[in-house]
Amino acid sequence: MTDLPMPQSGAAPVPKSSLMVADTRTRRRNAAEKRFRLYGAGAIGVALIALVVLLTSIIGGGAGAFRQTYLSIPVALDAETLDPKGNRNPDEMSKVLTLSYGKVLDRAVDAAVGSSEIEITDLSEKDISSLVSKEASAQLRNRVLADPELVGQTVDVNVLVNGRIDGYFKGRVTMESAAADANTSPQQLMLADALKEQGMLVTRFNWNFITNPDASDQRPEAAGVGVAILGSFYMMLVVLLLAVPIGVAASIYLEEFAPKNRWTDVIEVNISNLAAVPSIVFGILGLAAFINFAGLPQSAPVVGGLVLTLMTLPTIIISTRAALKAVPPSIRDAALGVGASRMQSVFHHVLPLAMPGILTGTIIGLAQALGETAPLLLIGMVAFVREFPAAPPEGLFDPASALPVQVYNWTQRADPAFVERASGAIIVLLIFLFCMNLLAIFLRRRFERRW
Amino acid sequence: MPLSWALLASLLLAVAGYLIGRSRAFAVAGSDIRSLHSRPIYHGASVALMTLTPAIIVMIAASLLRMAKALSPEAVGLVGLLALAAGIAGLGWGITRIGAGYQARNVVERIVMGVLIFCSSIAILTTAGIVLSLIFETGHFFQKYNWLDFFLGTEWTPRFQGNSALGILPLLWGTLYISLIALLVAVPIGMFAAIYMSEYASKRVRGIAKPAIEVLAGIPTIVYGLFALITVGPMLRDYFAQPLGLGNSGSSVLTAGLVMGIMLIPFVSSLSDDIINAVPQSMRDGALGLGSTPSETIRQVVLPAALPGVVGAVLLAASRAIGETMIVVLGAGAAAKLGLNPFEAMTTITVKIVSQLTGDNDFAAPETLVAFALGLTLFVITLGLNIVALYIVRKYREQYE
Amino acid sequence: MYDINRAESAVTQQDIKISARNVQVYYGDTHAIKDVNVEILDKTVTAFIGPSGCGKSTFLRCINRMNDTIDIARIEGQIRLDGEDIYDRRVDPVQLRAKVGMVFQKPNPFPKSIYDNVAYGPRIHGLARNKTELDEIVEKSLRGSALWNEVKDRLDEPGTGLSGGQQQRLCIARAVATAPEVLLMDEPCSALDPIATGQVEELIDQLRSEYSVVIVTHSMQQAARVSQKTAFFHLGNLVEYGETDDIFTKPQDSRTEAYISGRIG
Repeated sequence: MTDLPMPQSGAAPVPKSSLMVADTRTRRRNAAEKRFRLYGAGAIGVALIALVVLLTSIIGGGAGAFRQTYLSIPVALDAETLDPKGNRNPDEMSKVLTLSYGKVLDRAVDAAVGSSEIEITDLSEKDISSLVSKEASAQLRNRVLADPELVGQTVDVNVLVNGRIDGYFKGRVTMESAAADANTSPQQLMLADALKEQGMLVTRFNWNFITNPDASDQRPEAAGVGVAILGSFYMMLVVLLLAVPIGVAASIYLEEFAPKNRWTDVIEVNISNLAAVPSIVFGILGLAAFINFAGLPQSAPVVGGLVLTLMTLPTIIISTRAALKAVPPSIRDAALGVGASRMQSVFHHVLPLAMPGILTGTIIGLAQALGETAPLLLIGMVAFVREFPAAPPEGLFDPASALPVQVYNWTQRADPAFVERASGAIIVLLIFLFCMNLLAIFLRRRFERRW
Repeated sequence: MPLSWALLASLLLAVAGYLIGRSRAFAVAGSDIRSLHSRPIYHGASVALMTLTPAIIVMIAASLLRMAKALSPEAVGLVGLLALAAGIAGLGWGITRIGAGYQARNVVERIVMGVLIFCSSIAILTTAGIVLSLIFETGHFFQKYNWLDFFLGTEWTPRFQGNSALGILPLLWGTLYISLIALLVAVPIGMFAAIYMSEYASKRVRGIAKPAIEVLAGIPTIVYGLFALITVGPMLRDYFAQPLGLGNSGSSVLTAGLVMGIMLIPFVSSLSDDIINAVPQSMRDGALGLGSTPSETIRQVVLPAALPGVVGAVLLAASRAIGETMIVVLGAGAAAKLGLNPFEAMTTITVKIVSQLTGDNDFAAPETLVAFALGLTLFVITLGLNIVALYIVRKYREQYE
Repeated sequence: MYDINRAESAVTQQDIKISARNVQVYYGDTHAIKDVNVEILDKTVTAFIGPSGCGKSTFLRCINRMNDTIDIARIEGQIRLDGEDIYDRRVDPVQLRAKVGMVFQKPNPFPKSIYDNVAYGPRIHGLARNKTELDEIVEKSLRGSALWNEVKDRLDEPGTGLSGGQQQRLCIARAVATAPEVLLMDEPCSALDPIATGQVEELIDQLRSEYSVVIVTHSMQQAARVSQKTAFFHLGNLVEYGETDDIFTKPQDSRTEAYISGRIG
């Protein structure tokens, strides 16, 4: 690279050559220049294209998770089946299993299909009964248990339909794929089309995706990111409460007080190396130290929070130190000059002035922690969790999921409908990250100071 | 939770101590507040800290003892009382110290300094924790499995019934192969992008490209992983691997390598940007003043001057690639293979750490413990790369400071 | 020692090498150079003097279009080199800079060997057909910049390892090796100690025999020592231009007088 090839031709330049005419050598060099520029522009182009393709593929694939198809039908809540004792006591009614509600629902769907005079050849019983989601009977049961007076009446209910039907309306399932699919059939899809025409099937915005907990393998249509969002939130809480004070304290010491000696050198090298340790190693540390040694529970947000704290600390320390370093020494001298102690000059003057920088760095560190997946896999966050954790502080020890882990979890399921869910969860995650970064940019703009 | 109650009680005690200390200081000072060495709030703070510190030390010690199984869970209530007692003793002692000559501010500052020092050594504790937990469990593993077979074994077939072959070489090969492809993608693109942005791009192009590349940097790796799984993998399979008859797998070395390369572009580009900008402008002026074209200036003057920095950046990127987990978990596959076909699924160290440590772990089985040996290997490799890279980059920066 | 040939320097008439007509330079909204007209002679040392921020360096950098590298700089007017407008659309700045070399304020050798530093220009411009010719050019340039005897045994060592004065002479050798017609020097001695300054000044005087040399300096003594023509800049204006002796002994403009007598600047 450093050595140019020896020029092939051209002796000493002809004196007084005109500047207006580019000689061959210059033309050749300018062509090389243009090529080089093109490579650069190409590199930027590739990066931009990659970004666009990445975002469109994720958003395109995940947008469907925010819309869901529901069946709205009248259901006769048969008192015989649902409240055999007949006293409307919720405690006794809760002994009636979801299975019975499924039967009630089946009859309602049968009736609805029958009354709507839909004629589809070869429509089997199974096609009709599997029209609604397996989650639907549980939905119905919860509704009845919450309001026992409904028993005996005929109520209009909105229930989730089977994921395949939902996928059909979102374009994921087609007649061809249905023919080869044991879980649905072209007849069922035709039925769904007919029901849609009559207004009994509607596809609308799906709040439940954001509020619901995860659902089992068989019912992707019911799965949501509620528990994952709460788990992520709890972990961010732990990180915020631990990483920020510890990180700021450590930075203050290293930047303002630490003597220049071997020990601080070791700490410095250590911190910059920790920042580059693969995140999965922190997961191993969490498993060995917090779960196996300290005996903290698996899948708990507090463990996730601790692991992420250790992981984000170097990031926070590095950015906080940069913010402290940016405060000019004259401020410290001024405070010392009026008789403040070093500690007072730091806490009264330097720290407040460095605050915007520290906040920006902290938010970016938190955003990193929010998207981190690998270490959480090792501390059991992949477990299937349907229960919402309790309120903190006790809730920090309850099992929970986390947004990025939920994404991973869904990619491991067999039903392709979960891929849509995974992409949808990523959209939620990206929205959070976007907001955090926006906040960081806002803080930086608002409080930017030029010395 | 008795410990949290004890914590709450000692916090309240500390607040009370603060108030008592402050008012005592006012009382001692009488009419002339300047007769005190320190301002009353420091007297208050010193009492509060003297209350809180012993209580917290007792609690931390108790928690550590409990983790080490030296303390039975039933004793926790007692510990709470003990902590509270320590707090009260501290409170009493703190109050007696108050007087006009008492250097409360210095005491407070000394305690705060102690806290600061403790916080900065957490980084060391973390490293120690990582090293200890890795070495400890790896030791267990090597008691059950021959270390030579681990480091030199070319077969990776863990079995539930035991008698597994746990050779690291296929994993190492997959890791290096994927990382190599990632670097082949990221280094040229990232460097050219950095060069273009710092030397050529108009303000408008920079205004779009720079934030876009930063966005690429802010995207979590799980997103890249999903991208590999649902978009890149199937695309490579349908348009390249199958037509060329090279494979039928969506997960492949190339999938993971390409996506990881994209992930590393912003990393390489921001590092290169720093490095290129560290070359003094006077050096560029010198070359331009002699009649170099900008590209000649970059290739023949700036890059050679920046070479150590660039090498450091590439090493850092390599360490990133080797330690990356989610992209390979979702994009590379799970088959441990020593092969050359980039369209084949292979696996990496990180993938196997995840697969051996998720689910129900039996920490007596070598199949689980092997994950720690893998982790240790990964840690040592990346640490080595980082130390060398950071050393080179640091030396390089000093050269131009 | 430095008031060499003062008598001779009362100029044998030379050809006009560079002529500037109504040159204006703007940095964003700042009007940095205001309507400068000047004619610079061949085989003459011309000094630009003036207080800092007066625009002398800015104007110097216009002559080989180094201001092109600054995004916000905008230049109006004409600068002609041998009668050709260097800001013409057809002119390639790369080719121009081969003819108009530049030496900078801070010595800026490339982090390469001494040999490669000097050979850099000839290589990119294709001035040597083979290694022997390149060797000749390097030796001649190093001799020309009075550095040959000091470095001939260590041409492979990095140029950055030389002392400050040697580095600056290396940079001059590097500029000379490109066989320019004009040599621009932007305060070439400001980073050097007095002894190194003396050596470089002596060198500048020798360069006069082959090149048109333009030197920016903040030192009036240096201008008086090395130049035959002097231009005084003040607040972006070219206040006065003439024989060096005249400027320093009988300035026409009151601002020039104030500057050389130390009242402004």
